[in-house]
Amino acid sequence: MARVKLTDVTKRYDDVTAVDDMNLDLKDGEFICLVGPSGCGKSTTLETVAGLTKPTSGTITIGDREVTNLPPKDRGIAMVFQNIALFPHMDVYDNISFGLRLRNFPQDEMDERVEEAARVVRLQGMLDRMPSEMSGGQRQRVAIARAIVRDPDVFLMDEPLANLDAKLRVNMRTELQRLHKQLDTTIIYVTHNQAEAMTMSDRIAVLNRGELQQIAPPLVCYNQPANRFVAGFIGSPSMNFVDATVGDGTLDANGYSVSFDTAAIDGVTPGEAVEFGIRPEDLYLADNSAEAADPSRTFSVTTDVLEPMGDEIFVYLKPILDPSGGGGMTDFEERQGLLMSVDPATDISEEEDVEIVLDRARIHLFDDDTGDAISHGVVADADLEAEAERDEAQAD
Amino acid sequence: MSIDARNHEDAETFDGSGDESGGESDDDNRSPIQRWADDWIRNPEKAYAVMLVFLGGVLLTTSLFPLYWLFNVAMAPPGQTDIPLLPETIDLSAFVQVFQQVPFARFMFNSLFYAFTVTVFVLLVASLAGYAFGRLEFRGKTPLLFALLVLSFFPPATLFIPLFRAFNQQVPMLGLFTLPVEIYGTPGAVVAPLSAFTMPLAIFILTTFYGQIPDGLEEAARVEGTTRIGALFRVIMPLSAPGVATAGILTFITVYTEFFFSFLMTGNSAAEWAPVVDGVIAFQTQYTVRYDLQAAASLIAIVPVAILVVVAQDKIISGLTQGALKE
Repeated sequence: MARVKLTDVTKRYDDVTAVDDMNLDLKDGEFICLVGPSGCGKSTTLETVAGLTKPTSGTITIGDREVTNLPPKDRGIAMVFQNIALFPHMDVYDNISFGLRLRNFPQDEMDERVEEAARVVRLQGMLDRMPSEMSGGQRQRVAIARAIVRDPDVFLMDEPLANLDAKLRVNMRTELQRLHKQLDTTIIYVTHNQAEAMTMSDRIAVLNRGELQQIAPPLVCYNQPANRFVAGFIGSPSMNFVDATVGDGTLDANGYSVSFDTAAIDGVTPGEAVEFGIRPEDLYLADNSAEAADPSRTFSVTTDVLEPMGDEIFVYLKPILDPSGGGGMTDFEERQGLLMSVDPATDISEEEDVEIVLDRARIHLFDDDTGDAISHGVVADADLEAEAERDEAQAD
Repeated sequence: MSIDARNHEDAETFDGSGDESGGESDDDNRSPIQRWADDWIRNPEKAYAVMLVFLGGVLLTTSLFPLYWLFNVAMAPPGQTDIPLLPETIDLSAFVQVFQQVPFARFMFNSLFYAFTVTVFVLLVASLAGYAFGRLEFRGKTPLLFALLVLSFFPPATLFIPLFRAFNQQVPMLGLFTLPVEIYGTPGAVVAPLSAFTMPLAIFILTTFYGQIPDGLEEAARVEGTTRIGALFRVIMPLSAPGVATAGILTFITVYTEFFFSFLMTGNSAAEWAPVVDGVIAFQTQYTVRYDLQAAASLIAIVPVAILVVVAQDKIISGLTQGALKE
């Protein structure tokens, strides 16, 4: 158990900066996920903590020790690899006890610890098997046992579940959470699977192009993303983004406008181009507008493709291209169609004109240039009645 | 004997009707060789089997007959030069006399000592080099490997004179230093040059094998508590067992059977670190040659290499069938 602190860590290869000025401060016993798309530097960050890669600049502290220049073996860490990396020429017992043997543990203590680790990952009775005789899940459990047997200060996991099939992955996810509760060790977990990140971690660190975008608890990343990248990366299906312009008391997105109190939001001036984002579950059919915390006025769209998922239906919406269709989003580009999720019981079909509302409390505004979040949820104009009138006027 | 196309076609139609009455009359017209050829054309696997046995027989005869002949010579009484194809008597006393007349065991020990020392040294150094060439990225890697290849093309004999002088007369090396002691006639005079000559091939073999071990395994070993060198000897080398065995056997056999340097860099007596060749030659005096003892000695000298190959072959096969990696 230990704090882990990365200060200004940068890793440059010949022409690429894999990790750019990374600052992370992990609390003792915290489970943190590094997420990001391929090549975002999450694995490189983990390797610098492990000591397998030396950072170009910056310092790494584990516990009270600065470990930047220490070899991996002296850092008090254990690591689980994506490719599992069991030693194929050793049986399970030898694999698990590899680190202990290197540290000259007495035989009886070694036996005890291996037994205990095997019990934790439920591998009793398999200690004399060879890795080649085991299934993927069992091998991964051996790899985890090899990591926990040394009682490390920090666990590093580099996409440990990526090579497992879907069902096993969900099982192992729960097992890892149980393990974390049991061991209470600091865990740094790299994944590109945001479902893993959301469900397991205390905090998520979202990385893109080697830079830390946001580090926050999963729900904060979800509800208050720091910028457009985080908003788009966290959540499945992804958030809808629409180019918009700030009007006087309105937000105009390609012909559609949401009214809000411009003055109540810092950093937004009328005429400014912004990007507005809304999650699929924050769009509602007009009939269900009561479910929205702060419904906007309705607007018309056509349904495109339906994706019934069982527990919900994803509805792709496209704007009604004929302006005479009434209050439709005329200039919507194809890519700015919306995705809405609705209750599976909803009676809805493809190519159907529907009225929808969006939850104003759940709108996200992002700066068009920097992508930084300006606001999460917009406050309605103080005069709701005035808005209603304006809506009616527009409808006419 | 050529195969008649018409006959051949006929045979096929007979095959279709599958009756003996037509076949008999046809067989009368054809020689046995024609029938034989016909049969082989329809059943090529028979021809392959025969050819395989024939080729195998030729290979076995050419490789084993010299050994049998040595055995025959060893069985013949001293001084007999007319060796019969089958030994007239089986008298194994020559194999005992070999050790009584000269210290043949010591000669063999010398050669085995050279082979063993060089193999260990070469595997150790070539492992480090193979690790660097196979697993690390560094500037000048390709030119270095190429230089190694070029060096291995030098005929060792061209280096004999300068090495002989350096080992014998304590000439200044590159004008900078002289070897502290005269190493001619010591194991060093054989081990050092032979290590150098066998090194390039071992490095190439090990580079290939070490380069194939996944990075993840080395990283896992390092995280678990080894250094890079530790990972090399605890994980990479065991997993490359077939490559290590191959490099080891090649080196061992090369050095054990090496004649030029081991003969010239040492004295002629067993105590002067003479190799097994000197042991065989020792049965030849100015006036007599004991061919029977020389033959027996030669056969005995083969035994260690034969054992090594048999044992190591087993290792190679077990290495190849080891559990696969998940990569």
